Amino acid sequence: MVKIAQISCGTDYSGVQKEIERAAETFGAEIVIPEADLDYIDEAYGKFGFNAASSGIRLMIARAMSIVEGKADADAVFIATCFRCAEGALLRNELRRFIQQNTKLPVVTYSFTERTKADELFIRMEALSTIVARKSLLAREKQEGLTLGIDSGSTTTKVVLMEDNKIIGTGWLPTTDVIENAKVGTKDALEGTGYKQSDIEGIGVTGYGRLTIGKYLNADLVQEELSVNSKGAVYLADHQKGEATVLDIGGMDNKVITVNDGIPDNFTMGGICAGASGRFLEITSRRLGVDISELGPLALKGNHKNALLNSYCIVFGIQDLVTSLAAGGSKQDVASAACYSVAEQVYEQQLQEIDVREPLIQVGGTSLIEGLVDAVSKTLGNIEVIVPEYSQYIGAVGSALIVSGLSTK
Amino acid sequence: MKIAIFPPNSLILADLVERKGHEPLVLQSEIRKKVTSSEIDSPPLNITEEDPIKGLKYAAIEVPSGVRGRMSIFGPLIEEADAAMIMEDAPFGFGCIGCARTNELCMFNIRKRNIPVLELKYPTSKEETIEMVNKINEFLDSLEEKNG
Amino acid sequence: MLPPKNPEVTEKNPDDQITRMIILGPSANISQTELVRKLHMMELPLTIKSTCYGAVIGGDKDAVEKAVQDIRKVDEYNIFTKDRGFPPGDPRRCRAKRGGAREGFHQLEKEFELLDDVSKALKNPQKVKVKECKKISPDEFRKIAEECK
Repeated sequence: MVKIAQISCGTDYSGVQKEIERAAETFGAEIVIPEADLDYIDEAYGKFGFNAASSGIRLMIARAMSIVEGKADADAVFIATCFRCAEGALLRNELRRFIQQNTKLPVVTYSFTERTKADELFIRMEALSTIVARKSLLAREKQEGLTLGIDSGSTTTKVVLMEDNKIIGTGWLPTTDVIENAKVGTKDALEGTGYKQSDIEGIGVTGYGRLTIGKYLNADLVQEELSVNSKGAVYLADHQKGEATVLDIGGMDNKVITVNDGIPDNFTMGGICAGASGRFLEITSRRLGVDISELGPLALKGNHKNALLNSYCIVFGIQDLVTSLAAGGSKQDVASAACYSVAEQVYEQQLQEIDVREPLIQVGGTSLIEGLVDAVSKTLGNIEVIVPEYSQYIGAVGSALIVSGLSTK
Repeated sequence: MKIAIFPPNSLILADLVERKGHEPLVLQSEIRKKVTSSEIDSPPLNITEEDPIKGLKYAAIEVPSGVRGRMSIFGPLIEEADAAMIMEDAPFGFGCIGCARTNELCMFNIRKRNIPVLELKYPTSKEETIEMVNKINEFLDSLEEKNG
Repeated sequence: MLPPKNPEVTEKNPDDQITRMIILGPSANISQTELVRKLHMMELPLTIKSTCYGAVIGGDKDAVEKAVQDIRKVDEYNIFTKDRGFPPGDPRRCRAKRGGAREGFHQLEKEFELLDDVSKALKNPQKVKVKECKKISPDEFRKIAEECK
């Protein structure tokens, strides 16, 4: 059984301890508490050098130290503190770094509220236990042989055919019928390559429809998006070592994943408001009478400050844009304002709960809108943003890459 | 008299209060109510989502859930007290009193209740320990007198 | 049909079930084994467990309180007691099962270091002089710094 060491403060008193243990059990893992006696707490606290006011946090330091010094037996680490606790947030991050720098253990961090339920923790625990169980797979940095990756997303289905570390075919279509779309996507990816489906040595699937397609195609790998997208992003961006943040502003929801050496350690996912999604930009371009592919270059020419946008809401926001246009505002300015609106909202609602690490690798369909990428970078204080080639195929590429280590055919 | 103590899980404070025939309002009795209840099963403490919500009585929603969850246990104890003893700078208090912000709020809530409060510092030497015991005993005796 | 309830048998109220830790101070006259034996000899309906600091006892409130009162008399100034939330040997907080000590344990460990002096103060109440430490004034600080040059 995979042993997940829990380093936390406040889980018992927030009523979420049971949820954490339930989530771990669901993925064949068990939660263990690293041992730390009184003298050791003093020693570890002194050695670490962070003056924490809360003794619960000092205990976290000692438990992390006991893992680093090999006194506690663990396969993975889960670090959690209360949402909105400043001391907790600082330590959560510093201890995460400390463990990553000194051990090879996968770490996942989380900030919880009393509302946190086991299912919110599922994807994290699943990621932790797969990282442990499939360590060698995730360590893969090169694709080999002929493999197919399918990302069955909520809005679009992406397919990629790879051969010897190169993408040789792609398929991309809106998701309507999960299986049918995967079939068409695969056909498109194979087209012109000279290969038939039976030549494929391994199939990897990810995304919302992964279980259905995985079963239908008898896939070699069915994997959650967290580890697949992390791997795909660092592979495409050629940033397989060190820290990075992966940002995917999707059609319906947004994902932010922080990674260390290509392994995910925290993520946030939101689908609360369409005003912070690709959908908002789609409607904007329709209003402006341009194709979505033209929105980006248009936005780069404009100045967002010239178009008044008082609301992040997809309804009122669009109304504001129309008013700006009616008042004589230029299309360029309006396009720019729309991109900033999305970027600022992602910043305010999602990036706040995660420690953003440079470089930021922006992926997904919206990463092709240059104006949005520019707005994201500026909103985050001119942070380095990388948009790798094939960024819209991120999940499919990750799947094709990882499965190449598994294929038996 | 019912005496609130802080740290609320202190052995020495609770023991000395009991020796003088008073009732220490200790955390453990509150925890016991939770953990021996057969109805809820949210191990280890049986604190559920409801408790941090009850804690809204003491701290706003913007305050972390762990603070509110702890306050839902400490708060009623403080309200029940006829007198209190606060020992500051206690070097180690984990779990229940592992959160510095909760501790600050508890001590403040005790002080603003206008009940007799004995303020102590965690002793660092033999002399200070003896002095602390003397002060506690004097305080407890004075309560008896007041009480008639 | 349910059998009629026997009015003589009242259901146990879980609030009346309590757990106490009995802690032996460093200068206690009795050993841990003796402590446990004395507790057993009281013939009260108690769960008694020997622990690293002394014993933990659980049972009806009245029985536990009686035991606490009587055991204190054995060595008044060196036997301390503390309430405990969890019943004796509860797996939810058991070190053996989950690894890592129960949080309250460290608090106990630290306070234990003071118990010897507390015992002395209880046994022989005495006036002591406590040296108060104050931060030095900036002027004094400067003077000392200059002297150290």
